[in-house]
Amino acid sequence: MEEKEITVNIKKYNDKDGAFWKSYKLKADKYTQMTEVLRRIKSEQDPSLAYRASCHMAVCGSCSMKINGIPSLACRTIALQAVDEKNEINVESMDYYPGVRDLITDIDVFYDKMYKVMPRLIADESVLMGENEQRMTPENQTEVWKFQECIYCGLCVSACPSVKEDEQFLGPAAHAKGFRFIDDVRDTKKSERLDLLMDSAYRCTSCYMCYEVCPQDVQPVIAIKKTKNYLDQYKGNTPITIMARKHDDTVENLIETTGKIKESTLFLKTFGFGEAMRDAIDMLKSGKFKYAFEKDSNVKNMNEIKNMMGEKK
Amino acid sequence: MEKKEYDAVILGGGLAGLMAANIVAAAGFSVAVVSKVFPTRSHSAAAEGGIAAYMMGNSDPNDDPDFMSYDEVKGGDYLVDQDAAELLSKKSGEIVSLLDAWGAPFNRQPDGRIALRYFGGQTYPRTRFIADKTGMALLHTLFEHSTGFKNIEYYNEYYVLDIVKEGNNVNGLVAMEMKTLNPIYLKSRALLIASGGIGMMYKHTTNSYINTGDGQGIALRSGVALKDPEFVQFHPTGLYPSDILISEAARAEGAILKNNKGERFMAKYAPHKFDLAPRDIVSRSMTIEIREGRGFEGGYLGLDLRHLGKKYIIERLALAYDAAKNFSGVDASEEMIPVRPAQHYFMGGIDVDTTGTNHDLNGIFSAGESACVSVHGANRLGSNSLLETVVYGRETGNTMVEFLKTHKNVETNSNVEPIIDAAYAYIKRETGEHFGVLTEELRDIMWDNVGIFRDNDKLAEAVSKIKDLRVRARSMYVTDKTSNYNTELFNALETRNMLDVAYTMATAALNRKETRGAHFRDDFPERDDKNWMKHTITYLAGDEVKISYKPVTYTRWKPEVRVY
Ligand SMILES: Cc1cc2nc3c(=O)[nH]c(=O)nc-3n(C[C@H](O)[C@H](O)[C@H](O)COP(=O)(O)OP(=O)(O)OC[C@H]3O[C@@H](n4cnc5c(N)ncnc54)[C@H](O)[C@@H]3O)c2cc1C
Ligand code: SF4
Ligand code: SF4
Ligand code: FES
Repeated sequence: MEEKEITVNIKKYNDKDGAFWKSYKLKADKYTQMTEVLRRIKSEQDPSLAYRASCHMAVCGSCSMKINGIPSLACRTIALQAVDEKNEINVESMDYYPGVRDLITDIDVFYDKMYKVMPRLIADESVLMGENEQRMTPENQTEVWKFQECIYCGLCVSACPSVKEDEQFLGPAAHAKGFRFIDDVRDTKKSERLDLLMDSAYRCTSCYMCYEVCPQDVQPVIAIKKTKNYLDQYKGNTPITIMARKHDDTVENLIETTGKIKESTLFLKTFGFGEAMRDAIDMLKSGKFKYAFEKDSNVKNMNEIKNMMGEKK
Repeated sequence: MEKKEYDAVILGGGLAGLMAANIVAAAGFSVAVVSKVFPTRSHSAAAEGGIAAYMMGNSDPNDDPDFMSYDEVKGGDYLVDQDAAELLSKKSGEIVSLLDAWGAPFNRQPDGRIALRYFGGQTYPRTRFIADKTGMALLHTLFEHSTGFKNIEYYNEYYVLDIVKEGNNVNGLVAMEMKTLNPIYLKSRALLIASGGIGMMYKHTTNSYINTGDGQGIALRSGVALKDPEFVQFHPTGLYPSDILISEAARAEGAILKNNKGERFMAKYAPHKFDLAPRDIVSRSMTIEIREGRGFEGGYLGLDLRHLGKKYIIERLALAYDAAKNFSGVDASEEMIPVRPAQHYFMGGIDVDTTGTNHDLNGIFSAGESACVSVHGANRLGSNSLLETVVYGRETGNTMVEFLKTHKNVETNSNVEPIIDAAYAYIKRETGEHFGVLTEELRDIMWDNVGIFRDNDKLAEAVSKIKDLRVRARSMYVTDKTSNYNTELFNALETRNMLDVAYTMATAALNRKETRGAHFRDDFPERDDKNWMKHTITYLAGDEVKISYKPVTYTRWKPEVRVY
């Protein structure tokens, strides 16, 4: 099989020397996975190289790292597809988590967030006693499975801007996990789960980074949005969820009158002028302000929308 | 050194270990689960195809648990303990219901009941599945269920060095925190070894990098026997060239193996079951095809899915489709997937009875792939390993509960310094052999000589070469002198375990002069029930593998010729 020589630059780290880059040359063919590249570097060139890997088939979530700056699973990355024009690849540990050794980071904060959402099904007593059989439609199974497919790789959390700024935010993976149980017809603890998740859900900025980086296509941000759909059933009142209720009322109102959400009006009504201005400045900084100025116009089939809204109420 | 005391310590956070942990904790005992990886990264996550179960009212109307046991017994070429197989079948339905109650999102039929499909060697379809990531979904379910118990403590990323004994009683184990290399003594009166498989000692394997036979090595070093270690399964469809598994589900859903002439060659070797004959038969047939020049260049065959249509493939076989695409650059809806056999499963293991108890030491139990309850005999059927991990994980958990009720922890602490010194010795040594060299040599020997086709010369050569490697391993050293997540040290310790286990495997294979299931001897191509219908029991004492035998348990099925 045809092989090519590649250069792998790895950002190494240990407690004594701190961080430094080291380069390795080796041959790879068009099938060579990055986990195999690392294994060969370790067994042939640098036995001290530290990284995590287990399944080499993208189901165990061990091999999370940054490859050419992109949060990736090493086993999911084919070396020759990742090299640049000089046949080089840069590999470093994930952002956000404290470094331990080379490509290994300490992701305890990730696990802690997962544990916070009561990540287990609580079925009806009669089912646990074996007296009743649980049924579940194939459609329900498909949706639950989508969010259950998370492999605890931690990449989404390492890429999520809100997690870094807001300690109370549970982060994308924990939200996907939490929602997976809300969504499951077999579970009996919906309201407790809403208590755990609702406030946090409104701390997501909908930047879609988690959607981009997730190797399993779990789409945590969609789980967050779906959680917010349960706001009506949520009994609690935290400052954020109070704001959210106002926001929802405004949206309904806007849709009923104009048939379209006007972001700028919405902002003002929900947050008041001061907050809206602060947000506008943030948006300006992040280059997203253009969305605020997109021209809004009323939609045509208002009646239909009004019908829908009426039905909802 | 840090010391903690529990009622039970469980080595392994895979399906078997977690199932037992849940059971023992539910009975109110304190449990420590020790795993060298975070539990959901255990090899169980890699299981794709499914878990076999006869569910009353939700199976083929003609099926019953006896048919299932019969399939296991025949599939295992009559080396199966029939009482163990019957228990496995009988409890299969209730264990799937339990997993469902704990949240496993099994694929469903339109009426909301759990769906099923065919797998190799089954008379009727029995495999239950969760997309094609059944193992991952079940592992997460058990792990997540365990987070509800306050009396389970996890030691994640702790590497177990050895068992601690006081006389003939278990007195816990010694592990090392991988992040810091700090040792810890976890004292307990009951100890479960659920450490999984051995795949990494073979050059071609579908197993995770972490499957290095640690538990089996630890057992051998403590005077605990391995049963039937000569039986290793080779899966027919490892993806070429990465050896990633293409699940049997592909063939169950209609994929066909073809040689370079486009022939469906399995018609010749298994005229009734074709591509769904048991794995040992398919793997051997493939090896013959390749050997006789009907393979493709590089040494592989084709797995043809094209007639199934893209939509169906993506819906039912997403993982196989993705694997072929990502790891071999093949679009399975347009081209055949390149496949060849690869090491897959270890039928042998720590000698236990149907309660999960080993009788060499007081307080030691084993379950899952590291154990040999003898439900798989000489060859395991697809979907039966996941089933074994949970059924026998639970049985063993219950046995441990009874044991804990009637026994007390050993009062004294054992001297564990020698265990720790032996591990540190690799770091202290300044020169010697490197683990990488030894492992690569071992992987070649096992693949070439203790592989799909075996004979006296190959096996004798393997035994003598591995003996040599074990001598060289005594002067193994580690270049990395830091105590900062020193993975090199753990690789060296894994190599030590692999060598001990490989040595008993090769010796037992040389000793068994017949062909049975996955153990195929070119020089003894027939099954020999008169002389060899018995289990091999092996102990390791220094350089010597001591072999004895145990009878196979029969209940109702007499050996017959195994045709498919
Ligand atoms: C690719 C693939 C697909 C498969 N598909 C199927 C299938 O569809 N159906 C089926 O029935 N079977 C399947 N199998 C087989 C099945 O997955 C395994 O046999 C089963 O999951 C083993 O589970 P276990 O709990 O015994 O061990 P594992 O899941 O391997 O767990 C072992 C545990 O022990 C720990 N451990 C090991 N050594 C140490 C140490 N020294 N210190 C600390 N901890 C340690 C590990 O960290 C891990 O937590 C498949 C196997 C492979 C390779
Ligand atoms: S969409 Fe929300 S959860 Fe996802 S990365 Fe952005 S802020 Fe984080
Ligand atoms: S949601 Fe996706 S990216 Fe986040 S931890 Fe799970 S698998 Fe990884
Ligand atoms: S090694 Fe398991 S996800 Fe990469």
